Amino acid sequence: MRAASLILVVLPVLQGSPARDDGQWTMPAKNNAATRYSGLAQITPRNAARLRPVWTFSTGVLGGHEGQPLVVGSTMYVVTPFPDVLYAFDLTHEGYPLKWKYRPDVNPTSLGIACCDAINRGAVFADGKIIYNLLDGHTVAVDAVSGKELWKTQIGDMSQGETTPMAPFVAGNRVIVGPSGGEFGIWGWVKGLDVATGKILWTAHNMGPDSSMLARPGHGRYTGAPNIGVTSWEGDSWRRGGAPVWGWISYDPQLDLIYFGTGNPGPYNTEQRPGENKWTNSVLARRPGDGSLAWAYQFTPHDSWDYDSNAEMILVDMVVGGRMRRVLVHFDKNGFAYTLDRVTGELLVAEPFANVTWAKEINKRTGVPILDTTKTTGVSRGNVQGICPSLEGGKSPASPSAYSPRTGLFYTATNNLCMNFQATPVTRIAGTPYIGASTPYMPGPGGNMGEFIAWDAARGRKVWGIKEKYPVWSGSVVTAGDVVFYGTLDGWFKAADAKSGRQLWKFKVGSGVVGAPISFRGPDGKQYIAVYAGIGGDWFLLSGDVRSDDPADVRPPADFAPDLARHTSQGGIVWIFGL
Amino acid sequence: MNTCVVRGAWCVALSVLAACGRSDSAGSPLSVRYPEHVAAGGNQPPAVEIKNPLPTDSVNASDGSKVFSAMNCDGCHGGGALGWVGPSLVDGRWRYGGTDGAVFQSIYYGRPRGMPAYGGIMSPGAIWKAVSYIRAQPVPVTVPTESFK
Repeated sequence: MRAASLILVVLPVLQGSPARDDGQWTMPAKNNAATRYSGLAQITPRNAARLRPVWTFSTGVLGGHEGQPLVVGSTMYVVTPFPDVLYAFDLTHEGYPLKWKYRPDVNPTSLGIACCDAINRGAVFADGKIIYNLLDGHTVAVDAVSGKELWKTQIGDMSQGETTPMAPFVAGNRVIVGPSGGEFGIWGWVKGLDVATGKILWTAHNMGPDSSMLARPGHGRYTGAPNIGVTSWEGDSWRRGGAPVWGWISYDPQLDLIYFGTGNPGPYNTEQRPGENKWTNSVLARRPGDGSLAWAYQFTPHDSWDYDSNAEMILVDMVVGGRMRRVLVHFDKNGFAYTLDRVTGELLVAEPFANVTWAKEINKRTGVPILDTTKTTGVSRGNVQGICPSLEGGKSPASPSAYSPRTGLFYTATNNLCMNFQATPVTRIAGTPYIGASTPYMPGPGGNMGEFIAWDAARGRKVWGIKEKYPVWSGSVVTAGDVVFYGTLDGWFKAADAKSGRQLWKFKVGSGVVGAPISFRGPDGKQYIAVYAGIGGDWFLLSGDVRSDDPADVRPPADFAPDLARHTSQGGIVWIFGL
Repeated sequence: MNTCVVRGAWCVALSVLAACGRSDSAGSPLSVRYPEHVAAGGNQPPAVEIKNPLPTDSVNASDGSKVFSAMNCDGCHGGGALGWVGPSLVDGRWRYGGTDGAVFQSIYYGRPRGMPAYGGIMSPGAIWKAVSYIRAQPVPVTVPTESFK
């Protein structure tokens, strides 16, 4: 026994445990590496059953509450879905009263340009500012103390189908932002803004000529053929080819590279965009200072299934194949979990974490999927049956994963859904949807539509899983107490033992969870867990009758989950739990 | 830029339905009566009842179905107009009025919570086809509120 406990003590040191946690949560994924790992350890598998709600707050908004609060010092910041209200709560007073609330002027037209509910994925704290995106294509910076708006910059163009629900990321003195609009025929990009002024300093497109992609083939690690962002498309289809950036961004300060995923090519009808469609469904590594492209890798070339790659790129150092590697780990919508060398972009591991039928495997040498061609879609292919995962993804990018340096495991929500896919011709009309497919879903094999899993990214295998009746759409947080937290669409917030997957505790939070929990230390020195309840996002479209604020919108039950609306309705609530 | 953006096969289809442009003889109404609105003092504002100039028949409804797809209406309102990120148009319930004229205005001018204005790229004749399609869909007899067992 003594030997065993000694190993457990040594392990975190060997794996580079971060410095003592300051108890704050100042950026969307806790840290630059996007691990969503909290170093707080008061809550443990032994005492988690005693967790109880200590505070709640109705946001007054019904849209999908994705993302997470921030805790900076003794203030908690909450951004709501549209109309993108920013609340600042004083954690030093009983009842956590508001310090202030910031009500931006947001164009409600954005509600019709956002593909899938009017969500917001949260804010970032930097340079004394709370920085976040409004749905209507603006980034704002608000003084973290006073709540006064410091700058507001238009970054997106709604007339071209761009909205901006993603959480900005700050690397050095740059705010990195990107648009949604993979269903609206946008020309995807990321932009680098000056933290101090909000001025746009660079714009880097994800496709198009090298000059637009800020790419220099042959320089450094970037090996793309010249102008591959044009030549891997037919004609000018790249101009409306999608590649939105609506997920999470991470940063390696030593390499001075940011990492982010790009979304699906548009339209869904593949026959309107022959070619590999680079760099859609890819991970891009760029220099935050000037946006230049360092390397890129495409997960799903010529995507036939809406397999966006916007999920987080978690940066860890781990032994893979006997060598210590600087890697990034990514759970793609296409059902494969990838481990890449984040210095070079070399593919190290790619194994399915969900039920996959569209591909047999990923060729490790070329990095290219080996397709089951009977699952390839397009108008001439008719109604293609039995594609897994569905376009909700084996995991949604909206549900960010967590990594514990103590267990060496990744923790992620997954979906077990399949789909049929009937592509149709579609015409781009700027400012309207550009989709071109009908894609009904059905539960995957096994009966459970979701599972929360622990993943070994060095070997590419599942270590444990907790099956859930409905798709799991929440983010997760894992702590130094070896407890991992997630929520479910039917409105449970749950704790499990990070080592074993043993379920420790659950609480019904009033609405389905599509947000990402955080852990922080309160001014009283105690560890707390905060999470949003508030079903929405894609589940606004898919859950059936979960809204009750509009007499003109009464929906039939979801066909593949007909009783989901029995367990949840819309409504945003911020929860804080403690011992 | 009120240019016709419709290309390819759908342009042919639409050109047959109604020429792209803004010169259709049906014109655009200035003021539509909303019978469901409360009139202050009980006095209705000067307004007109706008009726769909097209006959109610399956040809117009079928043409309107093609317009509904070609104009990407289904991208928000769903296949069959059953509702998606935008509300259902076939449940007999209306945010902005369900008369011919109100539906026409919703399409022509757009609505503030996300409905784009199509009057710049669709002729009134094409819009009336879409109205014909929407109004031809059967309205469920019962509200689909679930009864869980």
